Amino acid sequence: MNGLLAYIGRRLGITLLILLAVSFTVYVIFSLLPYDPASLTCGKSCNDPGIIEANRVRLGYDKPFWEQYWIFIVGLFAGRTFGEGQAEIFCAAPSFGYSFLQHSCVTDLIGDALPVTIYLAVGALVLWLIVGVGLGVIAARYRGKIWDTLSTAFVLVGTSLPTFLTGLVLIVFLVIKVDWSPFPAGGYTAPDEDFGGWLLSMILPWITLAFAYSAIYTRFVRSQILEISTEDYIRTAKAKGLGERTVLFKHTMRAALAPIVTMAGLDFAGLLGGAILTEAVFNLPGMGRLSLNAVMDIDLPVIVATTILAAAIVVVINMILDIVYAFLDPRVRV
Amino acid sequence: MLKGKKSLKLALASITAAALAGAALTGCAPANAGGTLTYLTNSEAWTHADPQRNYTGMHIAWFGSYMHRTLTAYDRAEGAAGSAVVPDLATDTGRASNENKTWEFTLRDGSTFEDGTPITCEDVKYGVSRTFATDVITDGPTYAIGMLDIPTAEDGTSVYKGPYATENNDTAAFDKAVTCSEDHKTITFNLKRSVGDFNYTVTYLSFSPVPKAKDDGDQYDMHPVSSGPYKIKSYKANDSMVLVRNDKWKADSDPLRKDRAFPDKIVVKFGVAEEVRDQTMLADKDKTAVSLDALLPTNLSAVFDDKGEVLAKFKGRAINVYDPYVRYAAVNVAKLNCLPVRQAIYYAKDFQGLITLAGGQAFNGDPADGVIKPLMGLDYAETGYATKDADWKPEGNVEKAKALMEQAKTECPELHARATDPKRGIVYDIADTETNKKGSAIWIESLAKAGITIKFNFIEPGKYYSVVLDPTKQGDLSAAGWAPDWANASTVIPELFTQEGGFPMSQNWTDPAYAEFKKRSDANLSEPDRTKQGKEWAALNKYAMDNMWIIPGTFSKTQEIWGSKIGGAFFWEPQGALSFGDLYLKK
Amino acid sequence: MLVVIFAPVIYSLLGIDPEARDMSALDGRGEVAGEWNGISAKHPLGVIPGIGYDLLARMLFGARVSFLIALASTVITVFIGLVMGVVGGYFRGRVDSVLGRFTDFLLAFPTFFMILALSAPTVERIEKSGWADGNQARILYLILIFAIFGWPYLSRIIRAQVISIRERDFVLSAQALGTSNLRILIKEIMPNVWTPIIIYVSLSLPGYLTAEAVFSYLGIGVQPPMPTLGTIIADSTKYMMNNPTFFFIPSLTLILLVLTFNLLGDALRDALDPKSEN
Repeated sequence: MNGLLAYIGRRLGITLLILLAVSFTVYVIFSLLPYDPASLTCGKSCNDPGIIEANRVRLGYDKPFWEQYWIFIVGLFAGRTFGEGQAEIFCAAPSFGYSFLQHSCVTDLIGDALPVTIYLAVGALVLWLIVGVGLGVIAARYRGKIWDTLSTAFVLVGTSLPTFLTGLVLIVFLVIKVDWSPFPAGGYTAPDEDFGGWLLSMILPWITLAFAYSAIYTRFVRSQILEISTEDYIRTAKAKGLGERTVLFKHTMRAALAPIVTMAGLDFAGLLGGAILTEAVFNLPGMGRLSLNAVMDIDLPVIVATTILAAAIVVVINMILDIVYAFLDPRVRV
Repeated sequence: MLKGKKSLKLALASITAAALAGAALTGCAPANAGGTLTYLTNSEAWTHADPQRNYTGMHIAWFGSYMHRTLTAYDRAEGAAGSAVVPDLATDTGRASNENKTWEFTLRDGSTFEDGTPITCEDVKYGVSRTFATDVITDGPTYAIGMLDIPTAEDGTSVYKGPYATENNDTAAFDKAVTCSEDHKTITFNLKRSVGDFNYTVTYLSFSPVPKAKDDGDQYDMHPVSSGPYKIKSYKANDSMVLVRNDKWKADSDPLRKDRAFPDKIVVKFGVAEEVRDQTMLADKDKTAVSLDALLPTNLSAVFDDKGEVLAKFKGRAINVYDPYVRYAAVNVAKLNCLPVRQAIYYAKDFQGLITLAGGQAFNGDPADGVIKPLMGLDYAETGYATKDADWKPEGNVEKAKALMEQAKTECPELHARATDPKRGIVYDIADTETNKKGSAIWIESLAKAGITIKFNFIEPGKYYSVVLDPTKQGDLSAAGWAPDWANASTVIPELFTQEGGFPMSQNWTDPAYAEFKKRSDANLSEPDRTKQGKEWAALNKYAMDNMWIIPGTFSKTQEIWGSKIGGAFFWEPQGALSFGDLYLKK
Repeated sequence: MLVVIFAPVIYSLLGIDPEARDMSALDGRGEVAGEWNGISAKHPLGVIPGIGYDLLARMLFGARVSFLIALASTVITVFIGLVMGVVGGYFRGRVDSVLGRFTDFLLAFPTFFMILALSAPTVERIEKSGWADGNQARILYLILIFAIFGWPYLSRIIRAQVISIRERDFVLSAQALGTSNLRILIKEIMPNVWTPIIIYVSLSLPGYLTAEAVFSYLGIGVQPPMPTLGTIIADSTKYMMNNPTFFFIPSLTLILLVLTFNLLGDALRDALDPKSEN
């Protein structure tokens, strides 16, 4: 058990280092851009050098780069105050800064957007795992038969269709053109406000997103099962006379589970950073829309925050996966 | 004055008649009250909800109808009658004295903010003071700064820096320019110069009251306090805004909105994909919805016939009208300092191709012959350009353009060499939209026929004007649109073509022809005879065209569509927008 | 793909021109005159509404640009991925762990989002540096950014492959004979990593084609008037109801192209990878 703890400690350390490196890199990249962050803060008609300088001081862009980064990191833990007098703005910890384009603390914007993306990602994950693994198992079990061919066709279409096309076609031809359709034409309803409405607003986005992913998983699961079933211990189990079903579910699936979970974990982490296309088409106010609009409007504090957050989610989930493996398989700890 | 390509406004009627709204006698709720009215828009959020930061006609119309009251307001009527000014928070349309340099307004009894506190002179004064904090309260109109009698510092800015600044701030100067009576009921504005139509200026939401205690600077944009019949229940960018009835609002204190506050709830859905928005409207999927945006050109044929008339199926729920705008390409005269080159561009341009791409003339408007629209009446006269110009052809006159370029070769060899060099060429700034990008091919192709190279600088729509209004960043040509602030070209000609103007994208003060123009424009600003003044604006419009300070585009049109259960819709001309405050849900 | 390479020949054979605007094919408000997007002998797939370009000619032209992006990205991805993977896998130890951390670091970035966020500023940088202008700069950007965020995946696959190969007898014996590392790499290792590379290419080509379309839909990447499959598709989504023929032709073309490559990839995998087919 000490080995495991040491491994977890080491893994945590590495994760922290990577997070620091990523946050620093993101900060550097967006500081070196050929933009003047101060002149991006004061709206459309902002040509007045006096205003730009005032905002530069207010946001701390006048300070040397290292100090800015340090203030940013400190703000994450202690919160930050911008400006003075009645126009003073305080963003509580963890503060990612203040967006002058959206007149809000960045953390509040993320706080609003993240739950939407989590609902979207969790629902889609469940759906694509059911469909993907199910179809994959069926395809492998009935290899070469009609089921296999059908699932292959599904895979090919699924992986070829960009999600924005699937989404648009679904909305226009399934929602707007069909009078009795219960689904809204995009838009979001909070679950605590109207649970039924929330469910209806999420179903099509889930399907759209899961469609693309389940195709990939079908292919992956099928090849995993086929590969594992050639391993000696499976052959032995079969030779022992165990039923095909028992072998499939008790041995083959168990072995195939680890890589599937890894892949699902990483895909899920990626989605939490924002399913940009799905959110854009279905008009869901999640992380993807937040970051896409930030990019379009060059809202630097939001861009930096969403990028760092997305990276952090990937790194942390990666770490959790590794630790779970280490727990399951002692060899990894070495 | 205009800062967004869709903004501003125009008033057509003769200005003087400021009809006093007859005080309504009954106190009961309007007959069509009730229900939820929904707005759909592709925008991610309101550009601004803060009254002092609102500038575009559509936004002023929307917030003015529902939330922000002003001293005076445009009447809610169809046609020219809508351009009359009526009292709103004030008891009359203002009393001028001292050669129109002093204006006095008295507040009505009984008007309150959404928390029930009465609106006082100090609240209006505080609202006006926020305009001066140009580093926090950005994007709004700056009439208060230009008109109030407050000295300017050496650098040309006002000595008063708004309510937030703590250093070097001459608050006393502001207190002298705007004064309140002892009973907190009467506000007096002392102006720098005579402004005969100051009661039109105060229709801007920048003259709305703001309670000082609730003001938190930039963040106020997300939760402005209501003085009107509705208040914000929730507002989230990328998602929605919900307005509910303001229970502290007293109908009797607000004759303008008294019989008009119909729906119980108003919802704005942001970020609706354009195609989804249009198809929802076309299919009448949500019968109580109104689109805040214009229809995509590709969907116009579903609603209108070839001539631009509404199809039978959409009768009563769509309109196709002239908006207050003139669209054009501002010429950066400092860079394109050669008249024949500017004229060559004007002749070479394929107007036909561009207008077809945008949906055709029936929907996109007629060829413009200047920056003043015929709707302006007094101030408009034909300039002899576009359709009245024998050499101008809708599909472009290559021969004429070539001849002019030949002339430019000797007159300004340097610019000619740049304009014809495929590597350098002329730079055209334009907002980064699908239609503009598609249209760039037409510009490139038609100008190439005359030997001119044109390159496009696509700029994010949200940043567009901040780039092109920066003289150091502006290209050679910049797409622009402008509408007068009220029915006087004093809000057009000097704004566009003088260095002090609010929209000086032509940078024409380097042109030898400028001195004469500037003299005439300045003199005409204080011309007391309105007819004579109008004639002179028309003449200056032609003067600008003769010098080709703009490449004219269109006298543009706009299309609006709403659901079949919506009543009370008409085009509110002074704001160039739907009559939002008059919309109700049919039973 | 052949069709794409020989596009100019097809233009002249069919008498279509990607730069010619046929205003006669449109009515006064920019809609295509005639049913089915105006498909005729003159315009085999009809015209693009609003502007009057021949659709087939524009798609061929556009597909060339899209393929250029996809191919160049793939080549660079494979080159970097191959070098990094082989070096890491063969030398192991310090080099490998540094490379490994670096790939971890790159993989931590949200690729899709980074491509979006870096687009405008990087293109501006490229333009200022004078290497390329306008759309050339945007094409260059897409190629580079696809490659930068693409190679870590390939390098991991190759590293794993190399690690398993270098323990095999023929490599060990070569090492024992004192053969130089470079020679072993070229003679013994390289021939054995082609299989994953070929499979990777068959998957990444259609991946990059789709990516180009997606970024064009979001308004990043190549800008009109230069056509790519992506910009044409982005344009066509506006006509979904009004002119479904125009909406479906470019999308179906993209789907068919991607489908073809996917099928090819599957076939290659089955043929080259002994494990998958037993």
